[in-house]
Amino acid sequence: MTPFENILIGDNAFIGVSHLSNARARQTLQRLNVEKIVEVIRAATSNGATGYSFTVHPTNSQILAKLESSGALAQDFSLYPILPYAAGYVRTMNEKGLLGTLGDLLNQVSMVDRAKLLVRGVATSIAEDPIGLMKIYLDYEISRIPNRAKIGGVLLHEVITDLALSYRATNIIQSFIENIRNKWHATPGFVTRNFSRFVEFFDQMKLPFADLIVMTPFNRIGFQMIPSKQSCEASLSRVGNAKVIAMSILAGGYLNLDEAAEYIRPLNLSGAVVGVSSEEHARQVFTRLRTIEEQRSKRTNL
Amino acid sequence: MRKIGLVGLGKMGVLHGAIVNALPDCRISAVCEREKFIVNMAKKILLNDVSYYVSCTSMMENEALDAVFITTSIRQHLPIIVEIAKAQRDISLFVEKPLAESADSARLACETVANLRGVHMVGFQKRYSPIYRHAKKLIDEAAIGKPLFFMAHSYSSDLLREGKSWRSKKGTGGVLLDLAPHLIDLILWFFGDVKSVSAITRSLYSREVEDFANASLVFESGLTGQMNTCWSVRGFRLPEISIEIYGDKGNMLVEDDMVKLEPGESTMNQEPQVFYKQTFDTAVPFLVDQREYTEEDMTFLDCINRGSEPGTSFSEAAKVNLLIDRIKKTASGTI
Repeated sequence: MTPFENILIGDNAFIGVSHLSNARARQTLQRLNVEKIVEVIRAATSNGATGYSFTVHPTNSQILAKLESSGALAQDFSLYPILPYAAGYVRTMNEKGLLGTLGDLLNQVSMVDRAKLLVRGVATSIAEDPIGLMKIYLDYEISRIPNRAKIGGVLLHEVITDLALSYRATNIIQSFIENIRNKWHATPGFVTRNFSRFVEFFDQMKLPFADLIVMTPFNRIGFQMIPSKQSCEASLSRVGNAKVIAMSILAGGYLNLDEAAEYIRPLNLSGAVVGVSSEEHARQVFTRLRTIEEQRSKRTNL
Repeated sequence: MRKIGLVGLGKMGVLHGAIVNALPDCRISAVCEREKFIVNMAKKILLNDVSYYVSCTSMMENEALDAVFITTSIRQHLPIIVEIAKAQRDISLFVEKPLAESADSARLACETVANLRGVHMVGFQKRYSPIYRHAKKLIDEAAIGKPLFFMAHSYSSDLLREGKSWRSKKGTGGVLLDLAPHLIDLILWFFGDVKSVSAITRSLYSREVEDFANASLVFESGLTGQMNTCWSVRGFRLPEISIEIYGDKGNMLVEDDMVKLEPGESTMNQEPQVFYKQTFDTAVPFLVDQREYTEEDMTFLDCINRGSEPGTSFSEAAKVNLLIDRIKKTASGTI
């Protein structure tokens, strides 16, 4: 059994997400601000967190800038951005339609990249080269991250990953992997809530798992483990060198920390990502996860 | 293998297409989409092995389809239903919510399919959520006795400035046609037919449509209820529904992610029972966005296989359009 390499802080509480209760997420958000969030992250890192996984939500730009300026991040602390911020684009789509949303997106990207797209007219060039647009968008989002040198991996949001799986859009997956590796020299990763299908798809398409991150739910009650807990556990043995990071280990706060930790301890995982909402919460969670890490390391050394 | 057609490749079309393609024994085999730009893009990244059409009639003539998903803007629903029904009498249809832009159009949609074979269903996916199903069961089992009154709301932060899509245009848009149909469908499902309505609507950012509505409802059963809906409330990352029900033997709060039951005539020594999504078996064969989308698509396909009628049939959905129109009519003249 490999030791946990990645014990990551998740950003759900910081951006108003709770998989248990929307009302609770709003209450948590009310007592947080960027300064307090930085303290929570600091408490997490001093208790064993090795990185921060976050969506490119506007709040996170502020958090990252603050982390950078306050020198709160250790040398070996890594960032794992998840792209795109899907909920934001769904809202823009409701407001402005698909073309309006793409127009907004184009207005955000740099003038140079925009000029490339405008050569043959915006609509035509997007339609002819949607993968090209995706690359430009990813580059734009990554280039805005203030502490880019600390990026350990870049992950594709679950909505895009899971749509790509269903539509068998190999080109989206491949182009994402190549872009993150070649242009940004970071580890490409995928968030998915369909882990077994993800593994099957990579097998069928003969896509290599090596040096990939997969972030997906693993928890004692099988919450969001699709199509089943058993199937996801079985798929863990088929991912070769991919680093599987468990998310939703607390099933959105439904399970207690000990139940969560005991379940993931024997699994073939590279680590876990857990959202925390206060300094005390961060201390409890990451101390407990570090304990599992130590138990796993001992077994590995035997 | 069930062959499925898709009319309208917007956000909901892409979602249903993904679910259908991921389920066993069915496949998207044809797409009808008039916007050339979307078709060109879809061919490159989503569906390159299907036939594309710009007219439903030619799609129906050239493809032997078992079912069609209609996921266009609301006003196009009725003409598309009529066009498809003319071309093939035994086709099953799934229409995104709401069924139509008005009660008259919804009635015509029902009449169009009245003598057809096949399943005719509308995408009120909340009814397929384990939370709302459990709430319905508790109400039916009289867990809080006889409901006396309720307070409900459906809020989102979707529109915080004037919108430019069809959702903000007169005749196809407004919060009552866009956000409120889910809440209205749940209320009708929980409590039955409405006897009388009084309502207020307001525009906050939109010029052509209402952004807020408040309705007081009296049901045939004698139950009364208040409903607020607004898509311009700040602080809602996702749209949220909340229904507080007060009964003669307890109270109940139903939200998208939980049911809180406070049974009994007194709250003394009574811990409320809370049922979260996690309380229920949450596994589906494929998950994109909320699991109820997968559940509703599976229900649609299952009804086709069994020849049974879904709970969210055209006729049930027409009741939602009828109540929306009654709210709008009662509110006309308010600010």
